[in-house]
Amino acid sequence: MKTKRRIRNTAVYILLFVLSVAFLAPIAIILMNSLKGNFYISQAPFTPPDSETFVGAENFIKGFSQSDFMRSFANSAFITVFSVAGIVLLTSMTAWYIVRVKNKFTRLMYYFFVFSMIVPFQMVMYTMTYYAFELQLNNPVGIVFIYLGFGAGLSVFMFSGFIKSIPNEIEEAAIIDGCSPIKTFFLVVFPILKPTAITVAILNAMWVWNDYLLPYLVLGSGENKTLPVAVQMALTGGYGNKDMGALMAMLVLAILPIIIFYLFCQKYIIKGVVAGAVKG
Amino acid sequence: MQKMLKKYFPVFALPTLAAFAISFLIPFILGVYLSFTEFKVVSERKWVGIENYIRIFSQDETFLNSLWLTVKFTFVSVLTINIIAFSLALLLTKGLKGTNFFRTVFFMPNLIGGIVLGHIWSLIINGILGYFGVDITYDPKYGFWGLVILMNWQMIGYMMIIYIAGIQNIPDSLSEAAAIDGANPWQNLVHVTIPMVMPSVTICSFLTLTNSFKLFDQNLALNGKSPDTSLLALDIYKTFYDHTGLKLAQWHGMGQAKAVIFFLLVALIAFIQLRATRQREVEH
Amino acid sequence: MATITFRNVAKSFDNGKFTVIPDLSLEIKDKEFVVLVGPSGCGKSTTLRMIAGLEDISGGELFIDEKVVNDIPPKDRDIAMVFQSYALYPHMTVYKNMAFALKLKKMPKKEIEEKVMWAAKILDLEPYLDRRPRALSGGQRQRVALGRAMVRNPKVFLLDEPLSNLDAKLRTEMRSQITMLHKKLQTTFVYVTHDQTEAMTMADRIVVMDKGVIQQFDTPQKLYNEPANMFVAGFIGSPQMNFFDARLENANGLKAKSVGFELEIPKSKAAFLSDYINKNIVLGIRPEHFISPDEAFEKGSCSLTVSAELAEMTGSETNIHFELDGKRHIARIKSDKKINRGDKIKLLVDPETVHFFDKETSLAI
Repeated sequence: MKTKRRIRNTAVYILLFVLSVAFLAPIAIILMNSLKGNFYISQAPFTPPDSETFVGAENFIKGFSQSDFMRSFANSAFITVFSVAGIVLLTSMTAWYIVRVKNKFTRLMYYFFVFSMIVPFQMVMYTMTYYAFELQLNNPVGIVFIYLGFGAGLSVFMFSGFIKSIPNEIEEAAIIDGCSPIKTFFLVVFPILKPTAITVAILNAMWVWNDYLLPYLVLGSGENKTLPVAVQMALTGGYGNKDMGALMAMLVLAILPIIIFYLFCQKYIIKGVVAGAVKG
Repeated sequence: MQKMLKKYFPVFALPTLAAFAISFLIPFILGVYLSFTEFKVVSERKWVGIENYIRIFSQDETFLNSLWLTVKFTFVSVLTINIIAFSLALLLTKGLKGTNFFRTVFFMPNLIGGIVLGHIWSLIINGILGYFGVDITYDPKYGFWGLVILMNWQMIGYMMIIYIAGIQNIPDSLSEAAAIDGANPWQNLVHVTIPMVMPSVTICSFLTLTNSFKLFDQNLALNGKSPDTSLLALDIYKTFYDHTGLKLAQWHGMGQAKAVIFFLLVALIAFIQLRATRQREVEH
Repeated sequence: MATITFRNVAKSFDNGKFTVIPDLSLEIKDKEFVVLVGPSGCGKSTTLRMIAGLEDISGGELFIDEKVVNDIPPKDRDIAMVFQSYALYPHMTVYKNMAFALKLKKMPKKEIEEKVMWAAKILDLEPYLDRRPRALSGGQRQRVALGRAMVRNPKVFLLDEPLSNLDAKLRTEMRSQITMLHKKLQTTFVYVTHDQTEAMTMADRIVVMDKGVIQQFDTPQKLYNEPANMFVAGFIGSPQMNFFDARLENANGLKAKSVGFELEIPKSKAAFLSDYINKNIVLGIRPEHFISPDEAFEKGSCSLTVSAELAEMTGSETNIHFELDGKRHIARIKSDKKINRGDKIKLLVDPETVHFFDKETSLAI
């Protein structure tokens, strides 16, 4: 019995190990190639770098200097940070308003927000881009406003669900203790919402950071482009000889922040992503 | 409270509502309207009734092709992703040591954005096909299965986490009772575990369904160069921005009409999901 | 100093679609402990919340200390409230929960600390000041809620079913704590409950409400001895008062004839009842006013024999359930004999303890 179990466990471990290797392989291959000379990447993509092919950080240096990688990285960081902060703050306020002020208008607002969750982006991509240009939102600051509008659906929905479970009495106690509605929200309601706020922040951060089509349409592929747009441009744009080494380095640099972020906040990320899935 | 708070509409609700109206609501309404017009730019439009909708099926064979491709792709991915994810979840809930490490590894691809992901796989697939002297554009089959592999790689970890949560929610006493009743591990799986994780199955099926159906970034990055492997979302994009033949205004009108049909299909899936979830809630 | 006066106050929801309180007038004296009691949905909580300012007043005027407060926001009414669910701020420690209102008033830190420590000492909360509400027991949370109200030194203390989430033993304990607190603080207390025992044991005066209307407002003693109508009579006292339909007849003196027994009207009541001769009335007899023949008792001019359906021994007394005229009744008698189902039991009634009600209006005669 015991040996049978041991054999079975060993088999399971071997299987899981093989699968892990398969899951990590694509990332490992990119990393491996980013350290190889240009020529060897297309010649022998699956062999690890050796003394002959190893070029150290050369590709990374090229990657930084050639494409305006740093600029795109900064754009993405700026847009992600401010969009997420704006979404978390403003949609939580809106959700509280919708849940606590019950009338036909707020109910209608809620239905619109929920409705927006099922509409695919392609449905509004052309017209939204039109308004973005008309209203001069086609810059890294303006796009934050657009992200607020697009993120509102899921975020209001998730905050509302949680706010409904907070007893009204806590807010009434705050009113009696001397809070105005604004103080009630910031001193009492928002601190209680913190777990949901973390979930909403993670879901939106993953979305905005990785989003391609919206920033491509609104910001274009010029100096305001975000990281995914830069990656797409670098890997598909133009003909002729591409600097494969620099491109590999770019892919690695694009993945790296996410993986570091993931390894540090793994618990929250997995919880947040699952909560978003189950609710949405 | 309600009375006091009501006055604060401009503080609490207006900013979100304004952003929502400008970036979603008004474009949505305008989008539905434009699908019945021909337009070069939004301000120059001509009412054509349902002409665009007719043209999609009569003059542009890409739409039906990509619809069929999307359906095939969605079917295959939903099946493979859920079967593999569920099997992994079973292995990782056996109480073995080190499951956390495996969970971390399997989930990781989910966080990488579609564009980057698509290019990573494009390099790998082209690298392999390179040994045979072809690349991914050589045969639509390559593009299709490449996309399936990519989708599996990205979604399996995610679904696995949801299945793990579902399996862990089953009380131990249930399997113990089944064991006392003489069930072997296989019977336990079929008669206890699977029926008990049906809620997770519903969630995962619909998540993979909608995600596959709406797939865009990965498709663009991996198959952008092979015209025969555009899923619906990419086909709509190409109708708008990448086309030859008809007049620009006609392409735009047709693109918007395709988008409306696409939206209706996605809404239908969401509606079915809602029904399925409601029904289950009633049963319990 | 704080009196609370309702003058023809009305409350309705949804622009007058649902009226909860049609017309309420009430005067609560300074330093009084008033309990609002009634079945759920009777409007007692709404009344309390109007004092707090959490509900708008649809009509009439509400005074706190001679001042109309209809449009004064809660924080300017100088009131404190304890909620049924305690409503503690989950993200704050016990100390911060209690200090919150004072901080909002911008009271100096030193003074806040003094007040919180004072309340914590009275309520035995000193060891828990750094804990979050989550880490406290129900009783402790309840005390924090009281402390939060105390530190503000309000003119009026409002308590909305504060004990209904506690178990029976703790409830009894907290009951006396709150009564003592009232004596110590010397402020006006308005307390809402659906539990008549709480009302009877704690109140200076009780407001009995039903369907938004005050049925009676008086001391516990008066409510018990002289209920104004059948509703109050049935609501106050446990087990409930028994009601018997009867007909008043004048044959050899006033007699009330009911199914199974006959009652001679005592002289003290005869004058009031003279209008009801040959009319239907309702007799109200409290379970504890039935007397077992085992007890030495002379005056009994009325007796009935019933068949016990169920006998519950509670120690010194026995509750006998019986049926008469198609209705179930309870008699509580002193008895050390074992009573079995189906036993025939003779019960005596002292006519002086019987209540008489008009069958039409259900008012006391």
